[in-house]
Amino acid sequence: MSSTNKSIQEKTAGLTKLVAWFDSDEFTLESALDKFKQAEKLALDIEKDLTSLKNEIQIVKKKFD
Amino acid sequence: MGRMDIVQQVFSVSDFIAVVNQTLEYAYPNIEVEGEVASFKVNQGKFVFFDIKDSGGSIGCFMTVWQLRVPIEDGMKVIVTAAPKLTQWGKFSLTVKAVRPSGEGALKKSFELLKAKLEVEGLFAPERKRQLPLIPRHVAVISSTQAAGYADFIKILNDRWVGIRVDVAHVQVQGTDAPDQIIRAVEYFNQRELIPEVLVIIRGGGSADDLAAFNDELLVRSIAGSRIPTLIGVGHETDESLADLVADVRAATPSNAAQILVPDRLDIIRAVRAQVGSLLPRIMQVVDQQKQEVRERLTDIVRKIEQVVDEKAMYISNLRNVLAQLNPNAVLSRGYALIRGNIKVGSLIEIETNKAILGAEVKNVVNK
Repeated sequence: MSSTNKSIQEKTAGLTKLVAWFDSDEFTLESALDKFKQAEKLALDIEKDLTSLKNEIQIVKKKFD
Repeated sequence: MGRMDIVQQVFSVSDFIAVVNQTLEYAYPNIEVEGEVASFKVNQGKFVFFDIKDSGGSIGCFMTVWQLRVPIEDGMKVIVTAAPKLTQWGKFSLTVKAVRPSGEGALKKSFELLKAKLEVEGLFAPERKRQLPLIPRHVAVISSTQAAGYADFIKILNDRWVGIRVDVAHVQVQGTDAPDQIIRAVEYFNQRELIPEVLVIIRGGGSADDLAAFNDELLVRSIAGSRIPTLIGVGHETDESLADLVADVRAATPSNAAQILVPDRLDIIRAVRAQVGSLLPRIMQVVDQQKQEVRERLTDIVRKIEQVVDEKAMYISNLRNVLAQLNPNAVLSRGYALIRGNIKVGSLIEIETNKAILGAEVKNVVNK
């Protein structure tokens, strides 16, 4: 299992949650700047992961003939 | 010496049959014969008998029912893979290992027969279809690693997404051995301790005969029985195989399979940027709203203060009016006079009017 890709998904889910906070009843101006900084960092991380990581392709050694 | 003299051995019938079979096995261990099926029948649900013929001859064929991977019927043109054999009753026949339809008409007929059979069993029912994970982390691919379709799939996959573990089973994707190899690969992935999230079977385009492996009954059943959700991308957009029909998701081509399997990371990057980009305007919108609210509250406060001031001013004005009316000068101005001094006969008193103060003497006093 590729843990890096899992973390892309986790980061994407985290970003979605943060963005949703801005439209929720929990929104306060006092916390907004901090949340915005967190979202900005997550977005940069996701973009970095998506441009730098590779797929891990393995040919199964077993013969099927 | 005469010709009879070169005969060196006298065989028993059984031995001769055995020798002929050995010779046949040596000379023709695996032959392929093309012809038209005739007198097709299945005995006891296990044994299949038919003749294969052309305009010049006919040979009896025998096989077991589980070796028959595609439906055949009388009149269908087929190619049998077989070993020739002389039976103990002296009858020459072909022991068939595999049979496949030959020619477009036979392939189509076989396809339709099997499709109808599997459809009745509900193998293609929409309610059997499972959804693929949105972004899989572990994928199994069954294909020939030398095939162009596989290269297309991997290229598109790598272009679109990253960080996926891809386990690839290299198998033949055409020919008589292809169905069994693919079935073994399907079983292999299904029996893994850590099973992949999606099973992708791909093969590029080809002739109907090239793609016939994907209409094999056992392979179709194997795909239907996979506990891993399946994505099949075989041939071109216009090709339809039974493997396509039984798969959870059908892709038109191997490239399309990669497009279905994962999102495009460039789209995700754009979406992520847009998400974050929308946050600052959202904050500014709330700031503006709150500024507006503060302004409105201040206006309310000023209005309330003004109201209180107005009320107090009115009150004072009223008091002023009352006071004005109580002012003795106001009474004098209406014609009245103010008298000061003792009210008894002979006393000097002072009389104040609006315009003058008079001195006077009291002449008499009459009580009212």
